[in-house]
Amino acid sequence: MSTVCPITLDREVLKSEVRAIYAKVAEDPRGEFHFHRGPEYAARLLGYDARELAALPAEATASFAGVGNPFLMDPLPAGATVVDIGSGAGMDCLLAARRVGRAGSVVGIDMTDAMLARARAGAAAAGLTCVRFEKADITGLPLPAESVDVVISNGVINLAPDKEAVFAELYRVVKPGGRLQFADIIVGTELSEQVRNNIDLWTG
Amino acid sequence: MIEVIHRAGFRDARACQFFDSFLGTTKEAVARKYGVRGANFVAHKA
Repeated sequence: MSTVCPITLDREVLKSEVRAIYAKVAEDPRGEFHFHRGPEYAARLLGYDARELAALPAEATASFAGVGNPFLMDPLPAGATVVDIGSGAGMDCLLAARRVGRAGSVVGIDMTDAMLARARAGAAAAGLTCVRFEKADITGLPLPAESVDVVISNGVINLAPDKEAVFAELYRVVKPGGRLQFADIIVGTELSEQVRNNIDLWTG
Repeated sequence: MIEVIHRAGFRDARACQFFDSFLGTTKEAVARKYGVRGANFVAHKA
């Protein structure tokens, strides 16, 4: 399978569509979408702990739209600095904050204002002070070089048309000895040019 | 994805767990057609 998938669609249009779709998810998570949302889905198909999710504010869990579970891999060390790329409503950030504790810190990065509002409300409701949320594009993180122990993410990097730029930026911010542990989608077949340039399939 | 991660400088990148993330959605048939599913990835910076 090719690792370079050239696309000709307008990248700004794609970014705008992604922002619009996830603003709708933030505002009305029970609306009609082509992907699952919420804690019941996260527990049933992705292996999250239903009781742990039930203990989180609904602001953070209802709009969850990840595709995997970064917490099934290596445990997050206490005191670690963690960044969530495309943090959405903040569910994974709150779970990460509970794991790293007060000595650690968690930064959620998202480009959708409605998601950031939900995430900040959820963190406040949970009383977690070691987590904050920043508005940014994931190819330009507002973080110093070599400042992050672990990068998590869940179903976001596939939405970025320039994945080389995303991983170059992640390499910049991760400390030597640090790691990525993230979830995303994989495609098992070579996609046609028509499919690669179909915005509905990118955002769906 | 793995090769892109390695080109950025990370080491030992791999997909290690898989999920039927689109099961029961309106895109389930499309996901099955193209082999689309969720995966957990890990990679390290030396």
